[in-house]
Amino acid sequence: MLKFLTVLVTIILLGTLVRAQDSLQTKQLDEIIVTATRNERTMGALPMPVTLIQQSQIKTMGSLRLNDVLSEQTGLTIVPQVNGQGNGLQLQGFNPDYTLILIDGEPLIGRYTGSLELSRITVGNIKQIEIVKGPSSSLYGSDALAGVVNIITERPQGKRGSFYSRYGTNNTLDLSGDYSYTSGKLGVYVFANRYSTDGYDLSPENFGKTVSPFRNYTANFKITYKFSPKTDLSLSGRYFDEEQKFNFEVLTAGLGKIRTSGSGIIRDWNFNPVLVHRFTNRLKMTARFYSTHYETATHLNNEATDTLYYTDDFKQTFQRPELNAEYYFSDKNILTLGAGTIFESIQTSRYGDESVRRQQTRYAFFQDEWSPVTRLHIIAGGRFDYNTIYGSQFSPKLSGRFELSKKIILKGSYGVGFKAPDFRQLYFNFNNSAGGGYSVLGTEVVGDRLAQLQSQGQIQAYLYDPALIGKLNAERSESFNLGAHAEVVKALQMDVNLFYNSINNLIETQVVAITTASQSIYSYRNIKRAYTTGLEFNASYPIARKLNLSAGYQLLYAKDKDVAEQVAKGEVFWRDPMTLVTKRLTPGEYYGLYNRSRHMANIKLFYSDKEKGWDASVRVIYRGRYGIGDIRGNIQGESIPSSDLDGNGILDTHDRFVNGYALVNVSVAKTLQQSLRFQVGVDNLFDYKYPIYIPNIAGRLMYVSVSYSFSNNKSNKN
Amino acid sequence: MKLLKFLLSILLLAGLTMVFVACSKSDPTPATILVSAKISNLAADPPSGGYSNMGVPIGVTNKYSLFSFQTGAVVLNTDSATTKWDIGFNSTKIIVNSGTSGLGTASGQVVIDIFDAINIAPDNGYLQDNKNAVPALYAITRGSGNGWYSVNQTSNVVTPIAGKVLIFKTANGKYAKMEILSYYLNAPASPTSADQARYYTFRYVYQPDGSKSLK
Repeated sequence: MLKFLTVLVTIILLGTLVRAQDSLQTKQLDEIIVTATRNERTMGALPMPVTLIQQSQIKTMGSLRLNDVLSEQTGLTIVPQVNGQGNGLQLQGFNPDYTLILIDGEPLIGRYTGSLELSRITVGNIKQIEIVKGPSSSLYGSDALAGVVNIITERPQGKRGSFYSRYGTNNTLDLSGDYSYTSGKLGVYVFANRYSTDGYDLSPENFGKTVSPFRNYTANFKITYKFSPKTDLSLSGRYFDEEQKFNFEVLTAGLGKIRTSGSGIIRDWNFNPVLVHRFTNRLKMTARFYSTHYETATHLNNEATDTLYYTDDFKQTFQRPELNAEYYFSDKNILTLGAGTIFESIQTSRYGDESVRRQQTRYAFFQDEWSPVTRLHIIAGGRFDYNTIYGSQFSPKLSGRFELSKKIILKGSYGVGFKAPDFRQLYFNFNNSAGGGYSVLGTEVVGDRLAQLQSQGQIQAYLYDPALIGKLNAERSESFNLGAHAEVVKALQMDVNLFYNSINNLIETQVVAITTASQSIYSYRNIKRAYTTGLEFNASYPIARKLNLSAGYQLLYAKDKDVAEQVAKGEVFWRDPMTLVTKRLTPGEYYGLYNRSRHMANIKLFYSDKEKGWDASVRVIYRGRYGIGDIRGNIQGESIPSSDLDGNGILDTHDRFVNGYALVNVSVAKTLQQSLRFQVGVDNLFDYKYPIYIPNIAGRLMYVSVSYSFSNNKSNKN
Repeated sequence: MKLLKFLLSILLLAGLTMVFVACSKSDPTPATILVSAKISNLAADPPSGGYSNMGVPIGVTNKYSLFSFQTGAVVLNTDSATTKWDIGFNSTKIIVNSGTSGLGTASGQVVIDIFDAINIAPDNGYLQDNKNAVPALYAITRGSGNGWYSVNQTSNVVTPIAGKVLIFKTANGKYAKMEILSYYLNAPASPTSADQARYYTFRYVYQPDGSKSLK
């Protein structure tokens, strides 16, 4: 931290201490955001908490993949997934499964084990990233409980092109190129990216790497055609292909360590035709048909015997025709209506057989944006989803924005979010015959399987009311966000937001029966309740003409409601692991859910001198202490002890915590003649590592990059 | 006179002291002294080790290790059809000698409290095992989080839940309270899946006089 302060002070002294007339943030308020309303609205006019990350900022940061960018934003953190497979995004204390990730407004699929691997997304073709916090199921349906991250990619814009290359630590090479062409009614944009890395190894004493080497390709195109001033057609598509080379040592019960090697592949593609027609000045209609496909497969061979050790595959498809209309009663009252159907299918070896499981969701939504007086802006909306398996959901949302004065704007929103039971919870059919013998069965298959076992006389006992087995509802949240934007001192932009999310019907595994061979059978059940609440604060100030300082902080309390109630009633205890003496836990000692930091903060300094072509940044990202619950990171033979030391299975002050840490990232770039750009940077400057508990932090990463861009138009690049 | 008073005082004090000492050992007969003990590494059908001398085969056999509070020791497996045992252990499962588990009338329940704070056994709430009920009824409820333990679903480590006290009415109608401290060999403070499971360490208090007093 002291080292960082020295760097910070030096940069401040170097900068010319002239106050700027306006700041980055003021400009930002005029930027167009589409995620919050599904229509193009200026950011400053929106009544809900929205974060915007623009291309220029991503370039200055020198980021390559989506997770690099998101992990530096206030209140967001990249957490390892519960099962140790991949990393996901935590937002307002929600697990990664509860944030919807969109590309140009369309959902990214492939929640193979719950969360989405954000390193699948290259930032090379990203125009901006919009993050809406708070539930957005009223517009987007399932999975938008915590919020929505929408990645807006480049569109055809003039004749221009660019090439980008970056090389860095771990033999990481990133190559990108794009080209845009417009002529008359036609616009074409193409983009390609190749990323490869040797991965890294945080525990060289073990066989295999922490992250195995992989390479991936991304290709993306967008064609726009203006049939008439009233009618636009857009066709876009994306293709992604990744291959990873594995070398693992797998710990097995009884057989010791087995060395395996093999490969894993991930492929996804999507295609999205969108037709927009303006019938009158007041009515605009949009028709779209989004199709996407995701597949992944893993094969591991036992090295000693050269026989197949493990294999699995997973294929998912998602298709969604949708029609929506935007009607302007006036500039102060805009109505949006929409309806569509989602066709989903899944096919995987993990569910016992390779049969294709399908489900269908039909939905309709409305939204009205109304400004009865100039100072007040209200958005009311709701969405109805009907699904054959988990029933229907209604998700309303109401938000308002009130200009208290020119300097202070108040914002508030209330919304309901839901998450449909995922395919795993419905169809999982897993029998672990090696590890002690137990089965996990999805709620759509558990009934048949139990009946079958019952008829074979294999059920020793039911441990749960059979009438309740096999019923599953969507998980639901109710959320409140209340905030203010203030510019009390000129150019000092401050935003504060208080949030409260109440989450019910959380799905957990439940042991339902025991077989005559004493094997437990698990299924799923809506059982848990939780809440997350806290405060987010952001400030930005141009401390010098070309130098902008910003700071962000999030305070978070995330607790299991049932546990909190039990603790309050005095029904929870803790056992000192040394003396083995049991004591009653006080409410103050209950810390909350695992993997949530009470405090997270960042300080960033961005320098930009357009005339001389210099830009630079110093970013410090702090994550406060947190507890570790269930991580199965022991594929390499290291077993990770959980935080719980005192025999109550919850995180309290007597448990073991992962200490807080700060990462410092720096970058400097020089642009010559507005086309040739050189950048050097270091992420994680002080080489912070904690191999066992934070496997997703690789240590210090240095890089150099060269890019070249050309343009036939003037000033179409920022 | 003064001397006499002094001597009387001494006598009185001595007498009182004797009464106090007697009170603290007030059990009518030495045989019914409250038993407070700790058992370490009781093997509950582990993959290796165990009680071959007790007729329990080695290796995962689904046989129970039977325990008697009266003797404070493991009972011969050939005595499973008698009332010589009170409770039995197999992996995380604990049975009582009654109902579908044994010929006796032992019963038990799980109470949420601090072990040392339970001075008197509850009057009711005791259950006998009945695996045929739907859902099945066990005195010591099975499954993670339901009874005495919780299983970390990813590391598979079994942790005795702090504050879960097992109260038993034994095969011959006596009361006992029990707290399980570890499920792993030699009770490591922070066990991992690499530790040897199915070894119980527990402490108990057994009241041989038939009363509910556990203090």
